[in-house]
Parts: sequence; C-alpha cells; structure tokens
Amino acid sequence: MSLTSLDPRVTRLNLPEEAPAIEPKPELDQFETYEAFHQKKEGAAHTYVGPVHAPNEDVAFLFAKEQYSRRFPCVGLWIARTEHIQVTPYAGDGENVYEMMRVKEPTERSEEAEAYEIFHLKKRGKAHTHAGRVMATSYQEALQEARQAFGEKGPIVNVWVVKSKHVLQSAEEDKDMWTTIPEKKYREAIAYKVMDKITKYKEEHKTTAPQ
Amino acid sequence: MYGGGNVFEATKFDDLQTEDPAKLAEFEARIARGEKIEPNDWMPQLYRKQLIRMIEQHAHSEIIGALPEGTWITRAPGFRRKMAQMAKVQDEVGHAQLLYSAAETLGKTREQMLTDLINGKSKYSNVFNYPAFTWADSNIISWLIDAGAIVNQMANAKGSYGPYSRALERICAEEAFHLKYGHDAVVHMATGTPKQREMIQAALNRWWPPIMTFFGPSDKMSTHTETLMRWKVKMASNDECRQQFLDMYVPKIWELGLTVPDPNLKKNMETGQWEYTEPDWDEFKRVINGDGPCNAERLAVRRTAEERGAWVRRALLNPKAKYVKPLA
Repeated sequence: MSLTSLDPRVTRLNLPEEAPAIEPKPELDQFETYEAFHQKKEGAAHTYVGPVHAPNEDVAFLFAKEQYSRRFPCVGLWIARTEHIQVTPYAGDGENVYEMMRVKEPTERSEEAEAYEIFHLKKRGKAHTHAGRVMATSYQEALQEARQAFGEKGPIVNVWVVKSKHVLQSAEEDKDMWTTIPEKKYREAIAYKVMDKITKYKEEHKTTAPQ
Repeated sequence: MYGGGNVFEATKFDDLQTEDPAKLAEFEARIARGEKIEPNDWMPQLYRKQLIRMIEQHAHSEIIGALPEGTWITRAPGFRRKMAQMAKVQDEVGHAQLLYSAAETLGKTREQMLTDLINGKSKYSNVFNYPAFTWADSNIISWLIDAGAIVNQMANAKGSYGPYSRALERICAEEAFHLKYGHDAVVHMATGTPKQREMIQAALNRWWPPIMTFFGPSDKMSTHTETLMRWKVKMASNDECRQQFLDMYVPKIWELGLTVPDPNLKKNMETGQWEYTEPDWDEFKRVINGDGPCNAERLAVRRTAEERGAWVRRALLNPKAKYVKPLA
C-alpha cells in the first residue's frame, strides 16, 4: 500500500506507508558553516546575523542573502568561513576582554603585514559588530593592534579576528541587488488592516461574548 | 511557528552532584545577574541536553509545520494570497535553518538532528500531525497556531542561551506578519458569505482540540522543572502560556460571531483564569508517539526530500571541507 494524502501531489509520489530507518548521514552532508554579517543601512557597521551551511563561499553568500536580507533592509553583506575566524575567550557583561587576556606569542607570522577585520561583542546575547580593520603579521598581533586602535573604551565581551582576504564582501557596484521591489507589501504586518471589517461586522450583527 | 508543550522529562543528568560546584555556582550567578550564556561557556550537562532537545524540536516544528500550509500554496484563492502564503512558508523554513544552527552551537550536528527527525527519534509539534482539509484550515493554522507560537517564543526569547535568543528575536519579528495575515484571512471568511462562514467555523471546530494541547499538559512541579526555570531554560509553565493564549484570542474569535466547540470554556472572573474541558491527553500521547492521521505522511515527505537531494549535496561537497560548529 502506498501513502495517500489530501494533497494529490503527495499521493502521486507513491511513497511506501512505512519505511525502514535511514542510515546516519555522512559527515558534512549539510556542508560546512559560514558566518554572515549584514549592513543595515549605508555607513553602518557590519553586524553579525548568523551562520549558514554551504558548499562554498559564493553559495554561502546566496544563502545568507536569502536568509538574512529577505525580510529586512540590508545594503551590504560579508561572509567568512567559520574555521577562518579566531575567537577570544568570553568575558562577563561590563568587562573588557582585552584587559583580561594574555595574548600568546604567534606560532606563525606572514612575511608582510596583511589586513585583519575585527569584530566586537559589547554585551552577551547581542551580536558582534565590525570595529575596524588593522594591519598585522599574525592573529595575535592583529589582536594587540585592535586593542590599541579600538579596544580601550567601554565593555567588550568577546572579539572575533579574521583575515580580510577570507571575507567575501558584497561590492559597491552591485548595490542594486539590495533594491527590493515595493510590491512585496503582502509580507509586512502593516499591509493587513482588519479593524474596519470587524467593526462593520459587529455593528451589523451585534456580536457579544457568550455568557 | 512553534510547537510548545515541552515535556521536560527527567534525564540521567538530573543529578547536579556530578557537576563541579564552583563552576556551577559561577554559571548560576551569571544567569541570576541577567547575563546570557554563550556557546563556549561552561554549562551543566542538564542545561546543554535540555536546550538541544528544546531548540531541535522547535526547528523540526518549523520545517514540518511548513508542510500543511505549503500544500495550500497552489490552491490558495487569488494571486496575492498565493504570494503571501509562499512568503510565510519560506519564513518558516528559514526559521528552521536559524534554529538548527542555534542547536548546533551546543554540540549536536545538523546531520544528526535530521536523521533523528526522519527516524522518529525526536519530536516536533503535535498539531502538525493533523490534516488541513480546506483553505479555511490553512487560515486557522496561520492565525491561531502562529498566535500560540508567538506566546511561546516571546517567553523563550528572554531565556538565558544567547544563540537561541538571537534566533528568536529575528523569528518573532517575522512572525508578526504571519499573525496579521492569518487574522486577515479568517476575518475575510468570517465576514463573508454564509458558505465561507460555515467553512471557517468547521475548520475552527476541527483545530480547537489540537490547539488546546499545543502548550502541552500541565507541568508537574518538580525540582527538575524548578531548576530549568531558575536557569531560564523554561520561561513559563505550559498552563501560563495556555491561559495567556486564551486571554488574547478567545475574545477575537467571539467578536466574529464564531463559536468555540467547548461548552465549558469561560473566564472565571473571580480567579481571572479560563476554565475549559480538559483536553484529551491520551489522544495527545497516542498521536505524538506516531499514531496520528498525518505522522507517516509528514515524515515520508521530509524523507523523500532528503533522499532526492542527497546526490546534489554529494556533488557539491568540497572535499577539503572540515566540520566546525557555528560560532554563535
């Protein structure tokens, strides 16, 4: 017997009513993860929005665009593979992690200084925000540079460091990809106004709650 | 959209004696101060295990909950409703993605969660084991199931786990549209022709019993539940959520001249609590354990999608990829 459904398309799949348990999925069946940062408006710092699973950077960008820019304003998007991001320990709220950590000697250095992007988490539960870019020959040096450049003020709970070359950034000339067509009002709460219909119905029918 | 009704069963990790007392004290103090827990923090095994279970079930509910509404996209009356229904279903699947990632930060892979879903090892909201017979059923789901979900999610967004709170903030913002869309669709039917009114009333009658079980049975107040509440994993009791839902939505149902198929439903003005016929918890248990009208179909559809997409995923997989769990 195959499965019958109210939806004829499901019935047409001819699926068995019962099936044996599936084998565990192979590792990375769902792909590796990338972290996405969006820019809410022109001039604003890029802010962490969340991860996506994807087979490569370009697909990660597409998935992140769909996942994180579909419903809310967005004018820029950065993508970095999770394994390329170095994470400091987490401090408590109100503390500055730069003051609490001892930066280790770098194990590898590049011959020439290269660019690193620095992201700060100001409060637990909030999102990491881009603090700026520094030049360094190692992650450790980048962290020290970051501390001097923008780590002195206010609480900083956690820092992410990633080489700029590992960040896929949406380009200035592709800005038109963020233009949403205005006819998508049907997915905004504000497009649904029911009070007039309800009031009219109540006046005509004098509905009241049953006692 | 979210299936509430988490029944927090006792686990073998209940015994906090095995945890390091100094670390446990520090962890509890952090939560008491109102700070969030982030993925790399030390946490008790009970906290980790219950959160994985809860977030994973939530993710499964989003992905399975998209199915009964998804089947109505092609048959939705009119272009605008098709577009809106599609946008809503797309949101729900997006929510599953956010939630799977949040659960993943706690150490369970997405592969494992999907395997457990298809093999029936982990649960999703029981209401989605019921069929959507007509367009009106789809409207009742959009309005009242999403309304229940919002009650639950607003509470959970204040919980202590950072990645879950971040995901829920985004989810709640998107759900605002679902609720209005669902309400609008129901109002349209209820204020329409006699045939439309009859359809929406019939759908409400079918969905009321599952809706009443949506938040789960009354919690047994055990030390276990108290611990999870102190750790801000469980933010409100199932009964509190159910009362809040009734308070907000029963008047909105009544003002449309619709009736709720429970003669005992009324608000006790002295206690301020709603009284109702106790839902059929035996049926609830039977259905959640596999014997409902749509369990087999929901899992079979999910399974087919997984199997048919497997070759695409294999072909795209980068051979040098390494598994790293998401950061936050």
